[in-house]
Amino acid sequence: MSVWAQIWTIARLELFRVFFSKRSFWVYGLALFPVVIFTGHAIDSKLRQQRWGEGSRITPAMMDSFREGVTEEEILEKAGTPQRDRKWTRRQRRNEDDEGPDRRRFMTFFDGKRQAQLNFSDGKLTSVRISPLLNFEEDRKIFAGVFQYFYLRLGIFFGCLGIFINLFRGEMLDRSLHYWFLAPVKREVLLLGKYLAGLIAAASIFTAGAALCFGALLFPHESGEVAAYLNSVGYEHLAWYMLAAALGCVGYGSVFLAAGLLLRNPIVPAVVLLLWEASNSFLPDMLQKLSVLHYLQSVCPVPAPIDSAAPALLRMLLSPAAPSSVWVAIAGLLGVTALVLFAASQAVRHLEINYGTE
Amino acid sequence: MSATEIVFNDVSKFYGEVLGVNRVDLRIPPGITSLVGPNGSGKTTLMNLMAGLVHANNGTLTVRGISPRNPGELMKILGYATQYDAAPRGSTGFDFVLAGLLLHGYSKPDAERRAWAALERVSLTQAGNRKVAAYSKGMRQRVRLAQAIAHDPQVLILDEPLNGLDPLVRAETIALFREYAAGGRHVILSSHVLQEVDVFSDQVILIANGMIVAEGQIRNVREEMTEHPSQYLLQCRDAARVASLLFGETHVVEAKIDADGKTLLVMTKNRDAFSASLQQIALSGEEIESVLAADENVDALYEYLIGGRK
Repeated sequence: MSVWAQIWTIARLELFRVFFSKRSFWVYGLALFPVVIFTGHAIDSKLRQQRWGEGSRITPAMMDSFREGVTEEEILEKAGTPQRDRKWTRRQRRNEDDEGPDRRRFMTFFDGKRQAQLNFSDGKLTSVRISPLLNFEEDRKIFAGVFQYFYLRLGIFFGCLGIFINLFRGEMLDRSLHYWFLAPVKREVLLLGKYLAGLIAAASIFTAGAALCFGALLFPHESGEVAAYLNSVGYEHLAWYMLAAALGCVGYGSVFLAAGLLLRNPIVPAVVLLLWEASNSFLPDMLQKLSVLHYLQSVCPVPAPIDSAAPALLRMLLSPAAPSSVWVAIAGLLGVTALVLFAASQAVRHLEINYGTE
Repeated sequence: MSATEIVFNDVSKFYGEVLGVNRVDLRIPPGITSLVGPNGSGKTTLMNLMAGLVHANNGTLTVRGISPRNPGELMKILGYATQYDAAPRGSTGFDFVLAGLLLHGYSKPDAERRAWAALERVSLTQAGNRKVAAYSKGMRQRVRLAQAIAHDPQVLILDEPLNGLDPLVRAETIALFREYAAGGRHVILSSHVLQEVDVFSDQVILIANGMIVAEGQIRNVREEMTEHPSQYLLQCRDAARVASLLFGETHVVEAKIDADGKTLLVMTKNRDAFSASLQQIALSGEEIESVLAADENVDALYEYLIGGRK
């Protein structure tokens, strides 16, 4: 039996247990959480589109013609009945010089794509805010943010923790690891077989999650806009996101597999690695290259937005280190993974069955 | 390095500060070998060392010429039914045995055939498709045995293999050990059921506190223990008369007559001289129905060598 056949046999035997392990079922929750959020957003957008489409509409030209200072009557005469019309009175004036209560009115108009929110004070238009009901550009940025800040840093990170750390540690807790050690395979081959099983499971779960999330992102937008995006860079973006998710599983998987062999408590490696990854942008160039996240960010097709209003420390933690080129990033990540797997193979070679101490 | 024996050469194993086994020198020939010793004496450590589940801190060890650090080769010839009463989650008895065979490189049809054959040998065919988690203790014991023998190994290591088995299955299992050993293979087992060990073992290894106390065929070990007089149980028509005749011999240390007047327990320092005396008495006309060595068994060896630590 060749080494590859042995690796595949081990992976095949392990796969079912990895996919349906009760101990790591919450991993599906992590992978599907952004899908649920984006699907919820998509459904909400569709419903709003439908609801607003049923009401009165104005022309885009009319929407662009709203100017501050005009009266309510003039607007109503020009644009007709608004989609939403709310009136209220502010009893306490902001300025002491003003007299009487402040009559406020808020109207919303819709031109089929955009909504205009008009604020009136004492019958005069004081502000106009026009925004598209759906902003594809903005949604894509939000997706990039969710993917990098949640999916890569937390979802895949903790998902791999749940899957890979149990490959050896879980079997020690179940007192069943010795069955693998009694098979006529080298320990290194066993390690690779188990790693492959974990990788297939984690990559399937998280690339599928990324693809579903991407689908949910596109769902509420106009088909023409979506088709144009997909035909230009959309499919490429999807492929890079899925590759980034898979590479995340490759990198984090190897680290947590090794951690499961070397340490009893998974919390310790998780916290240490999380801190290491978060502080990556502060580290010297050489050390940055020993981070999984550093390479993953370089593979992502859209840079994640950073809110300028966020606290400085948070912005520093979230800001990516100087990116590598995509192919250097992939090669670097595979290099780090090979290094970690080599260390793990040394550990598994000397691993002893001693369940009494678990 | 011997291609037919299991050789321990000055092997020590420590678990941190705790002693597992200390400076073990052993040569185990093919046949049934029983490891006997109190709990925590190092029996399982010896077995785990042979199977490569733990590694020696000092010394060298080979199993039929193969180092336990080479599981790729060793496990082709070794089957081990451990004491750990667990199976991979969710697996049926058949899956459990099959998985091991697939890892040995058998094709799926061949592995399935062998898995059923192994289950049949331990009388577990009917329960083969049930989850191991739902098995009784005895059934788990048997499924582990099935997995250990499924690939027809040259060395079979069994940790307390008779625990939890009913008398019928116990007899079948012992027959299986004998069959295996008869083919020139190693069957190494640990047991607390000393009477049974006595019946089927070709040799015993007595172990206490991580040290080998004695090894070899039970009779040979007993003969070496000159500080303990040998005990014989005699059935005769007139026990008092035979006792009086034996008391005249210098090698006889003690004789006890049973209340029935026909059974006599004799303790002697010289087995050969005792045998000659007995022949003399028989020739003089005294009727002796049977002579039985009362302490030529593992139980007695255990008591003499390990004593209060049992």
